[in-house]
Amino acid sequence: MRLETITQYTAQKMTFSNNTPVDVRDAYVFLAEYAAWLLGCGATCIRITKNVTRIAEAWNLKTEITIMPSSVHLSVFDNDTKQSFIYLKRKPRTGISFYKNTRLSELSWAISDAKVSFEEARERFNKIITAPYTNKWLVLVLTSLANMSFCRLFGGDPMAMLIVFVATFAGFRLKQMMLEDGFDDRVVFFVCSFFSAVIGSAGYVFHIGTTPELAVGTSVLYLVPGIPYINSLSDMLDGHYLVSFSRFMGAAMLTFCLSCGLAAGMLLMNLKIF
Amino acid sequence: MFFLEIFQDAFFAALAGIGFASISNPPKQAYKYCALIAGMGHATRFILMNSSLHWGIINASFIAALVIGCLAVLLSSYAKCPPETFSFPSLLPMIPGIYAYHTIEGLVFCLSAQKEELFNHYLYLCASNGFTCSFDILGMVLGVTVPIFIFKKFSFRVTRYYN
Repeated sequence: MRLETITQYTAQKMTFSNNTPVDVRDAYVFLAEYAAWLLGCGATCIRITKNVTRIAEAWNLKTEITIMPSSVHLSVFDNDTKQSFIYLKRKPRTGISFYKNTRLSELSWAISDAKVSFEEARERFNKIITAPYTNKWLVLVLTSLANMSFCRLFGGDPMAMLIVFVATFAGFRLKQMMLEDGFDDRVVFFVCSFFSAVIGSAGYVFHIGTTPELAVGTSVLYLVPGIPYINSLSDMLDGHYLVSFSRFMGAAMLTFCLSCGLAAGMLLMNLKIF
Repeated sequence: MFFLEIFQDAFFAALAGIGFASISNPPKQAYKYCALIAGMGHATRFILMNSSLHWGIINASFIAALVIGCLAVLLSSYAKCPPETFSFPSLLPMIPGIYAYHTIEGLVFCLSAQKEELFNHYLYLCASNGFTCSFDILGMVLGVTVPIFIFKKFSFRVTRYYN
């Protein structure tokens, strides 16, 4: 009996603009994956909900979405068979990528404006999630320059800026290498901030420049996990307290590791700032 | 002379904005907007704090963050990417790092203080810097997020292509 109903359910097809029938279940699986990838690449809950609802409305799918800190649940109730299904998709392990966020949001509009069929949508989706990241050497140089400018904004002199540039360059490269080797995030943050802080204290050790304290302080700031903090507040304003709290705690944990690394570096170099 | 200082401030904030944007893999067209918004945001704060207005850091940061948030929403339709892309790199140059260090400094001295007056003094340093730091960050993040929610309809439509 039960099997029969499921087969019956399977037989239901959706029809899209180009008139090729599509299994409804495939569409739900696509939707769950889509939502999980949005969550993984650092989109806010309000965006995930809006995009998923937009696609669901376009395809005439009736679904409720629940966003959890590390997974997305889509629940579907079928009125004919009186059965409900849950499509659960774990958050993929991928770095924050606004490129993916932008393209995935674009895809939802393209689907909603009926510009792409289901097959095309799936093709585009696969292309988006396998898109390469920004060139790592470019990111390395730009981040080092950015942290150097930071030092200037806080009032550092040219020597402090130079020290910060070197400290960031070395620390960020270490971060890239350690993440590639699959180390735990927290270990990476601790080790890299320790590394940068030790290099950043060059101003004190060799008596270079007039603002050595700014060089030490700024040298680790490239590690601050700002996007999770901002997303956390955005989710809080939207009422997704669980995700908000989880994002906040994740970021706070990393900030704690970063501070420990900085403190350890300063202890090692015997700095008497405190 | 003051204008030159403002310009310098905006330039370095823009450089920092581009660099920190690159960490979060934005679409290519977003970089120039990141630079523009980060520069204008930080310059706003610089003017509020250093001109004859002499605003406090918390109010100035909040207003600057509001400017960043509004600009992000406004320009996101030209950049065709979500306004969130611009908010973090533009905010990062405003992080009150010095206050954060003084907070920790106060805490460490507190733990090692022997006398009551000394302890009270360091507790005061820790608390006052800590409050400034946390409310500054709260104000910044609120300022940048609220415009996205106010212009909700608009913020989430920018990735749509009208063709």
